[in-house]
Amino acid sequence: MSNHDEIDSKLSALRATRTPAANEARRNQALDAALRAFDAEQQRATQGNPIINRLRSVFANAKGTFAMDNRLTYGLGTAAIALLLLPLGYQLYTSTAITPVGVPPVTVEHTAEPDTLGGEASKVTTEEKNVEVNGAAAATAPMVEAEIAADEAVVLAPAPVPADASAAKPLSRTLVSPGGAAPQMSAGVQPKMAMESFSAPMTAEPMMALPADPSGNMFSKFTESPVKIVRDEPVSTFSIDVDTAAYSYVRRALTEGWVPEPDAVRIEELINYFSYDYPEAPDAATPFQPTVSVYPTPWNDKTQIVQIGIKGYVPPVSEDKPSNLVFLLDTSGSMDAPDKLSLLKRAFGLLVDQMGENDTVSIVAYAGSAGVVLEPTKGTEKTKILAALDTLAAGGSTAGAAGIELAYQLAEQHKVTGGVNRVILATDGDFNVGIDDPEDLKAYIRQKRDSGVFLSVLGFGSGNLGDDTMQALAQNGNGNASYIDSFKEAQKVLVRDAGGTLETIAKDVKIQVEFNPAVVSEYRLIGYETRALNREDFNNDKVDAGDVGAGTTVTALYEITPVGSGAELNDPLRYGTDAAEPAVEAGSATEFGYLKLRYKAPDSDTSKLIEMPIGKDLAVASLDAAGADQRWAAAVAAFGQKLKGSHYGDMSWADIRKLAQGARGEDEAGYRAEFMGLIDMAAVLRPNVVAASPAEQVEVAPAPVPEVAPSN
Amino acid sequence: MPRSFALMPQFVDDTVVPPPPIADETLIARAIGGDRRAFGQLVERHYDFIFRTACKWCGKVSDAEDVAQDVCVKLASVLKSFDGRSAFTSWLYRVTLNAVRDMQRARTRRGRNVDRYAEVAPDEYLPDQEDSAAAKELWDAVRRLPDQQRDAVLLIYAEGMSHAEAGVIMGSKEATVSWHVHEAKKTLRGLL
Repeated sequence: MSNHDEIDSKLSALRATRTPAANEARRNQALDAALRAFDAEQQRATQGNPIINRLRSVFANAKGTFAMDNRLTYGLGTAAIALLLLPLGYQLYTSTAITPVGVPPVTVEHTAEPDTLGGEASKVTTEEKNVEVNGAAAATAPMVEAEIAADEAVVLAPAPVPADASAAKPLSRTLVSPGGAAPQMSAGVQPKMAMESFSAPMTAEPMMALPADPSGNMFSKFTESPVKIVRDEPVSTFSIDVDTAAYSYVRRALTEGWVPEPDAVRIEELINYFSYDYPEAPDAATPFQPTVSVYPTPWNDKTQIVQIGIKGYVPPVSEDKPSNLVFLLDTSGSMDAPDKLSLLKRAFGLLVDQMGENDTVSIVAYAGSAGVVLEPTKGTEKTKILAALDTLAAGGSTAGAAGIELAYQLAEQHKVTGGVNRVILATDGDFNVGIDDPEDLKAYIRQKRDSGVFLSVLGFGSGNLGDDTMQALAQNGNGNASYIDSFKEAQKVLVRDAGGTLETIAKDVKIQVEFNPAVVSEYRLIGYETRALNREDFNNDKVDAGDVGAGTTVTALYEITPVGSGAELNDPLRYGTDAAEPAVEAGSATEFGYLKLRYKAPDSDTSKLIEMPIGKDLAVASLDAAGADQRWAAAVAAFGQKLKGSHYGDMSWADIRKLAQGARGEDEAGYRAEFMGLIDMAAVLRPNVVAASPAEQVEVAPAPVPEVAPSN
Repeated sequence: MPRSFALMPQFVDDTVVPPPPIADETLIARAIGGDRRAFGQLVERHYDFIFRTACKWCGKVSDAEDVAQDVCVKLASVLKSFDGRSAFTSWLYRVTLNAVRDMQRARTRRGRNVDRYAEVAPDEYLPDQEDSAAAKELWDAVRRLPDQQRDAVLLIYAEGMSHAEAGVIMGSKEATVSWHVHEAKKTLRGLL
């Protein structure tokens, strides 16, 4: 106590301290600076938007002492952020490829303001609010503080000033597109309205994303493949994708009652979740043969869909290939949930049940430190394996990199030739310790892949699912990523599709389609955005691509616009002709295009080529004449497009449901029936938007004079 | 998006806030209305207060001068957010303390924090009354406290405020301020 008093008296000495008198020169300097700032402020007040003049919060740590001050700051801050982000998002929207053709290009021609504002918006910082320690008000909440520097605050909403009059000609004749509302935004439409109409392209801005995803999961961002003009870009190249993680994720989201983020909806993965009845390849020498069908588009009666399907060869059961599996299991603290570690244990139990004499299983756990839980063990010693699985408990943080090294080491030690060597990584996705550079990890996995050990990734749980990391790892490791949200899904991935999951029959499968400009004027690849390849990559065997497992079916859809159908989204050019005239060959008018497919045998480094023309004779006249598999794929595509708020394919949920209903087929395992349920849930969560009447085609010669002149 | 206004905590305690001087209020109102002269007068009147406060918090005259100028410039834009519910000086304390903190943070980011303590430019330090080593030691120790403890100690001991008054400026409850002071004393016991 006396000690305390001593400190107290010492501290009292602080009071006695005199501060020096202010230096006159510095004082005058400060006053001058203040007055200059004041002048600048006044000027801005008269020029700029009066609502959000200058907003420079000095309340780095304000905690509400000055209630009014904060309200002002917050209120203006909110408004300012909204106004900053709208043009920014708009700029993003207009400058990226997702702009649907047919949106008035007028709006693209903004002056440079959005850029300036974009730069400013990045200054919006979040700062941790200090903790009130007395327990009563222990609230830590990030506080957003907007700072607008002196000169940038002047123009807040870009006025729709076209750079030249010719650009002002609105071309829209499509459905009401998000861009349609754009020019009005700056003319004073309520921010909320503007926000809604921008919801789709705005996904790059987490703050603006419409469907609130409560998850905090990470997804790679991508923009939807745009419509391409055949004369400009006749060749489309992509890698196949056998992952199905997106479907399971979407299913979980809808089942739990929220709309998944648009970036989580990868349409090709939704389509490929289902198996299709394509004819099988006759032997292992040619692991698959492509099946191509052409049928009318359900959401647009003027266009057609080209469906390319392949089914991997299924080796006869008698060929019991030896397998060497290393389970790399995440046992970090975050896995301690019924839908994570305990589901994981049961799921791997399923896999162990199928193991035979030729197979070895090892288990590596990774958490704070990586460790071998089970040394390589014969598949017949099931009790031992299951007992090892049972001992796993969650705790510690995730050090994915160290675990992966250990797992590969084990896999290489017990490598089987002519069999399956695979590391199966099960995680909730966050590699947050022990890895400095994700690129290094990817490179490591690539290198191991070349040595013959492949990687599969199984995602569990929700909350910090690092979907993007999972995808990247699996793609680099010649593997596949699946998302396990239930025991049923575990059964599908690890038992029913085990062959496809575990046994690769062809690797680096690439597809290239060249469209015939005499027959097709425009095309659009549905999905596969994250798998696009350069045209020259097709023949380059060094470029990695997706792999096909035994019995796996892969489907890709193109929406094509036949020449002369009048459904083109691009107007013909006013000046000059479109590209060069193609060298028209005899009979070429009978083909839509030409399909090329490259693949490598699992142990080969040289690719083989399969090619076939897509003849007009493949086309069927009506949707009803198309097969059930075709209609099903189209329904799933329409579902995905609608769910993610695509610019293409506006069908009502009822129509999608009807289409899917008529295409369910046998559906032994009930997966298609389950999808019907998802359509119903999506219809409730994301109701049809009542489309306004399509914009009239208006020719406006002079640029519309904006009401609010941009001030500089 | 930030929370709604309804969620903002309100700690305004009218009992501890002395009625604001009329003249300041008038000047503020005029300055907000765009009166340049009123703004000039207001800043001139309070410059010394800002400088003195900054001096105590920074400990270096040159730093204090920088902070004071920053605050003056900032006032041009933030003055309109002053609503007169608390005393202008309390509000000004807050603005100044934040400016001090901003400067120190910026300095930490530049990694110069270390030499702030290591490199001693004697003429820059506050001339203490007795110029005693003990006083200098005391000030150094206080300035090295965590932000909130330092603020609490300086407001209460150097400025002679009550815990409640300090609470208004720090935006904390009185009990929280007392707790900071208590913690500060615990820390200082080892140093003094």
